[in-house]
Amino acid sequence: MKVFIILSIFCAAAFAEDYCYKDARRACGTKLSLDMKNCTAKYGAIERAEASLQKFAYHHFIRSFDYLLLSTHFANYQKNRPGFEKLFRDLSDNKWHEGIELIKYITSRGGEMQFNDVDNLVESEDGNFDLHEITAIAKALDIEKKMANEASEIHHRIWHKSVLHDPEITDYIEKEFVHKEKDLIRKLAGYSTDLKDLLNPEDGSLSLFLFDEFLQGNKLF
Amino acid sequence: MKSIAFVALLFCAIGFSSSNNLICNTPELDIPKEWVDMTHGCIGKMREQVLEELKASMQYMAMGAYFAKDVVNRPGVSEMFFKSASEERDHAIKLIHYLLMRGELTTNISDLIKRNLVPPVTTWENVVSAMKAALKLEADVTRKIRKVIEVCEHDTASNPSNNDYHLVDYLTGDFLEEQYHGQRDIAGKVSTLEKMMKDHGKLGEWLFDKKVQAGEL
Ligand SMILES: [Fe+2]
Repeated sequence: MKVFIILSIFCAAAFAEDYCYKDARRACGTKLSLDMKNCTAKYGAIERAEASLQKFAYHHFIRSFDYLLLSTHFANYQKNRPGFEKLFRDLSDNKWHEGIELIKYITSRGGEMQFNDVDNLVESEDGNFDLHEITAIAKALDIEKKMANEASEIHHRIWHKSVLHDPEITDYIEKEFVHKEKDLIRKLAGYSTDLKDLLNPEDGSLSLFLFDEFLQGNKLF
Repeated sequence: MKSIAFVALLFCAIGFSSSNNLICNTPELDIPKEWVDMTHGCIGKMREQVLEELKASMQYMAMGAYFAKDVVNRPGVSEMFFKSASEERDHAIKLIHYLLMRGELTTNISDLIKRNLVPPVTTWENVVSAMKAALKLEADVTRKIRKVIEVCEHDTASNPSNNDYHLVDYLTGDFLEEQYHGQRDIAGKVSTLEKMMKDHGKLGEWLFDKKVQAGEL
């Protein structure tokens, strides 16, 4: 049975290049509305990755909103931490634009975006953004690790679980997410370490001022 | 992964009880509140409007995504809608910044944004129908901004009723200004596109897309 499936996939792959041509030949001289349904940009393993890429893109927008809330929180007059405001705003902007880029990527591989594909990954979290400086950093670190793992899962799906090899998708995931997440996670973990050391009873309050000032002048990306 | 948040929380909890521990909370501040003078009904309306802008943003996002598809292939139009999506998000951020400037958003921050904003429509018959939907969406947003202005100009939720002169001026001079210019631009494009398509259908739409992409419209 398995052999048959693999064989039939190979056959499909072998003849794939002729499908659109046949469609086009059949369509010539017929009614305009005739579908050339094999003439899409789809090839390789995109269909295996499409649903998880859609979800991944959608998660980017949700995270962008999460970070926007954190940024807003640190910008109120009582918190008044322009450095933390900037940090979370940069994260929010970054997630937003990467989300758009992901949609463009999906469509570049002949797929489409779907927005209603939300699982309980996000809903199971506590949606409280009224946080202290160090807990906000901790939250961001958790979020970024989830993002990194999600990227790895998509990579795994294509690399190990797909019959069709598709280096374009895995390379895209590596280039756009795997390495960048590594840097971001490392930075946030470093901030967490610094704050843990600085927030003692004597230095705590002034430490946060200085750390905030450092964040104001620091480039996250 | 969760352990870091847990450890941080644990540190915070311990911070209250014994000395020489991690201090996460900043001291209670006694800042005069007399200057924080926005009124309840108006604040509520402004907060609602933040969400409205983000909803519009995600609707434009769906338009950008639809016209980016290989089997639809209107890259100029798609890019235009993606840009609109980011602009709507910027509007939400502008409203947030205004509220912050007036001393607001110190409480209930977590429910300012509903995180799961699924766009209601995700496919369109053609570019004209999407552009018309965009025009209706903008008109709806304009109507809602006017409603915010109405409430903030005469907020009966406070006693005596309050006129927030500065905010009303800002919304009128800044937000409505942009709405009306934006609406006129979309309406003009719909007009151009419909005329281009009148006798030439898809050719007109294809050409329109290329013109939009080149910034010639
Ligand atoms: Fe807007």
